[in-house]
Amino acid sequence: MSNHLIIGQYVPGQSIIHRLDPRAKLLIVFAYVLIVFLANNAATYALLSVFAFLFAALSRIPFSYIMRGLRPVIWVVLFTFVLHVWMTKEGDVLYRIGALTIYEEGVRQGIFISLRFLLLVLMTTMLTLTTTPIEVTDGVESLLGPLKKMRVPVHELALMMAISLRFIPTLMEETEKIMKAQAARGVDFSGGRFSERMKAIVSLLVPLFISSFKRADELATAMEARGYRGGEGRTKFRQLAWKRTDTVFFAAVVLLAILLCLLRS
Amino acid sequence: MMNVRTMATNGLIAAVYIAVTALIQPFGFTNIQFRVSELLNHLVVFRPTYAIGIVLGVFFANLFFSPIGAYDLVFGVGQSVLALLITIVSMRYVKNVWARMAVNTLSFTVTMGLIALELKLALGFPFWLTWLTTSIGEFVVMALGAPIMYAVGRRLARELFNSSHQNR
Repeated sequence: MSNHLIIGQYVPGQSIIHRLDPRAKLLIVFAYVLIVFLANNAATYALLSVFAFLFAALSRIPFSYIMRGLRPVIWVVLFTFVLHVWMTKEGDVLYRIGALTIYEEGVRQGIFISLRFLLLVLMTTMLTLTTTPIEVTDGVESLLGPLKKMRVPVHELALMMAISLRFIPTLMEETEKIMKAQAARGVDFSGGRFSERMKAIVSLLVPLFISSFKRADELATAMEARGYRGGEGRTKFRQLAWKRTDTVFFAAVVLLAILLCLLRS
Repeated sequence: MMNVRTMATNGLIAAVYIAVTALIQPFGFTNIQFRVSELLNHLVVFRPTYAIGIVLGVFFANLFFSPIGAYDLVFGVGQSVLALLITIVSMRYVKNVWARMAVNTLSFTVTMGLIALELKLALGFPFWLTWLTTSIGEFVVMALGAPIMYAVGRRLARELFNSSHQNR
């Protein structure tokens, strides 16, 4: 079961996108997610699409692989498109089928909003496809750094993120083991009456929690025994380095934002 | 500095949230969804600091599994933080575990408005209808999750602490 599930979807590679600083990638993706809303005509949407597809192409990740990631959202996109075509009642009438009238504005809205959504998903997928979860954690810790002055425990948060990332595979294995052990005792996880399904979930969660809390306890003891004293004066194994390419890519997003402001109607 | 034990426990809680999200597939669509791991939200009634682990779990689960990606990172995490804060503040006045779970269920259900806002912004869904449908899914999972988490909490208290869980 766990074999086909790749946590974080990361595809190893050496492309220019892979080697970007995770902070740069986080900033680029979040900026993109915001400026997508500036687009409101064909020119601006075309510009956004070109940027996203260039970004995807530079990552050298096979197109078929990216499409596989987009497959689950196809239904959402179709639903959104139909919803807008159906709900919008402005502009010229294109077709009239019985009680249903399709307006030009509805089709336009439907295409734009579906495209916007696809672009959003594409860009965020690019982040997870080219960045390991631990890089994301390092990037988030570094970007949140200034908040330390406001006494936000940034280092502690990053450490907890790292701990949970470390234990996800372990706990997934454990969950499967418990499910099999309980199934051997007659618990039915796939069907049965409603009350039985709830009992099945209890029989899974109780052992899972107990083993996790015990693990946490052992981990805390191990950390204390090794003299863990928080982030103060701690050195890092993985160093982040902001390079010129990072600046170039970031500048490209800023340029994109300026162009969008100029071209939008 | 934060207590080492608190950090380790919250790290593991986040991992449990992610593992449950990954292995028990959510059933439902964007508009009405039943994410089983949401019942872990009830952990907060046993100890407020568990909220950190829940929020981190939501963050990674959305990063890894959400079709809407970065959007859910902002709004999904925001909704969890807001709902958990409401519950934590109310816990000063509400002491009974069942009552706390009821408050928690309500605060998560009502704050689904944030998710409805997200879906309106991202996909242009109608706000009020989306609020209704998303909160139905959340309410069902949280309400049915309450007795499950109550059972889990009691067993945890007995197995791990040999005393009342929330007093430690």
